[in-house]
Amino acid sequence: MKGVLLSGGTGSRLRPITHTGPKQLVPVANKPVLEYAIEDLKEADITEIGVILGNKGREEIQELLGDGSKYGVDITYIVQGNPLGLAHAAGCARDFVGDDDFVMYLGDNILKSGVTDLVENFEAGDYRAGIALQEVDNPQAFGIADVDEEGNVTELIEKPDEPPTNLALIGMYVFSPAVFNAIDDLEPSWRGELEITDAIQDLLEDDYEIDSHVVTGWWKDTGKPVDILEANRLVLEDKDLNTAGVVEDGAETDGRIELADSAVIEEGAVVRGPVSIAANTTIKSGTYVGPYTSIGANSTLEDIHIENSVVIGDSEITANGRIADSLLGRNANVESADDLLPEGRRLVVGENSQLKL
Amino acid sequence: MRIITHLCPACGTVVAANELENNRVMKCPGLGCQEVLRFEDLPEDAREHFLKNRNRYQT
Ligand SMILES: [Zn+2]
Repeated sequence: MKGVLLSGGTGSRLRPITHTGPKQLVPVANKPVLEYAIEDLKEADITEIGVILGNKGREEIQELLGDGSKYGVDITYIVQGNPLGLAHAAGCARDFVGDDDFVMYLGDNILKSGVTDLVENFEAGDYRAGIALQEVDNPQAFGIADVDEEGNVTELIEKPDEPPTNLALIGMYVFSPAVFNAIDDLEPSWRGELEITDAIQDLLEDDYEIDSHVVTGWWKDTGKPVDILEANRLVLEDKDLNTAGVVEDGAETDGRIELADSAVIEEGAVVRGPVSIAANTTIKSGTYVGPYTSIGANSTLEDIHIENSVVIGDSEITANGRIADSLLGRNANVESADDLLPEGRRLVVGENSQLKL
Repeated sequence: MRIITHLCPACGTVVAANELENNRVMKCPGLGCQEVLRFEDLPEDAREHFLKNRNRYQT
């Protein structure tokens, strides 16, 4: 079994954060989303991983993952270039996959339970594909699978008006090499892409058995800022958080706090977990860091009250104000305007930024 | 739709035809690989198919 990890895409819904880097490298609980995928594959004993690169952010992704050895996996890069669809991405992996089965994992997805069960279910039967599904409240908004009583997929329907089930396809699949022949026969969809659901539909029409696996733990597609915050909350809720750094006397802390060993919570600061604070970051007096917040490396916080937020890193946040439900990009600074005249906020805001003041 | 790729003989990195055709000549994008990859490295029938259907490989 091999892994094919998709890390292309424009990240347009995550602008301005993705003006300067690929969406798969946005950190959740101070770890790039893509690393969760690598760890999930490794946990399922999949160590040969093909990483699909698109047109954007290739160097950053290669710089992070390298040859995979730091994760105990072996990475081959596959340059898809133009974003011609998930089935095109899979098709580009053909030479890498060879005669093996493979897991296809969307690199901006993050899920609690990993892919081990999906892989084991697939391997237990004589399937040509296996798809991960999750129950959703609004099946009209998703690609939906119909399944029989044995859990075999009978039909896939994109955004149905009258959904036969509430089982939505999430971005995890297992395929046998039979999928490549199906991909060869595909024509681009109305949006000019080769759709992976069309390839699976072709396998169904050829009477191949397709397994379904319903994922019960949480799953998140981190396409939008609100999804990053939600994923950050879910991961902080579950993760073992280890306090290695310095908590000074006179600092007030409770709950679970991940504190890198070079990070400091100074006297007069208040931190309530679950929280993650990365290397070389200092939480100074008068600061409140509330639950479900991740503060990236090389940052200083002073006087601010922040909660349920993600600060990517290299930030100075020293205003006396409240920040909630926010995503701050690298090198973003928030300072006080209290002593400035005329009175008013001072903003240098990048393209596609969103502010609620 | 035919998917055309080229496998770097030195490091196993895979490059899609659209990328090769865009660059014509490129350094292999594999980490630390010095191999030079060319659109001309693809078999003749693959090149012809790509060029005849070029717009399908763009976005
Ligand atoms: Zn190479």
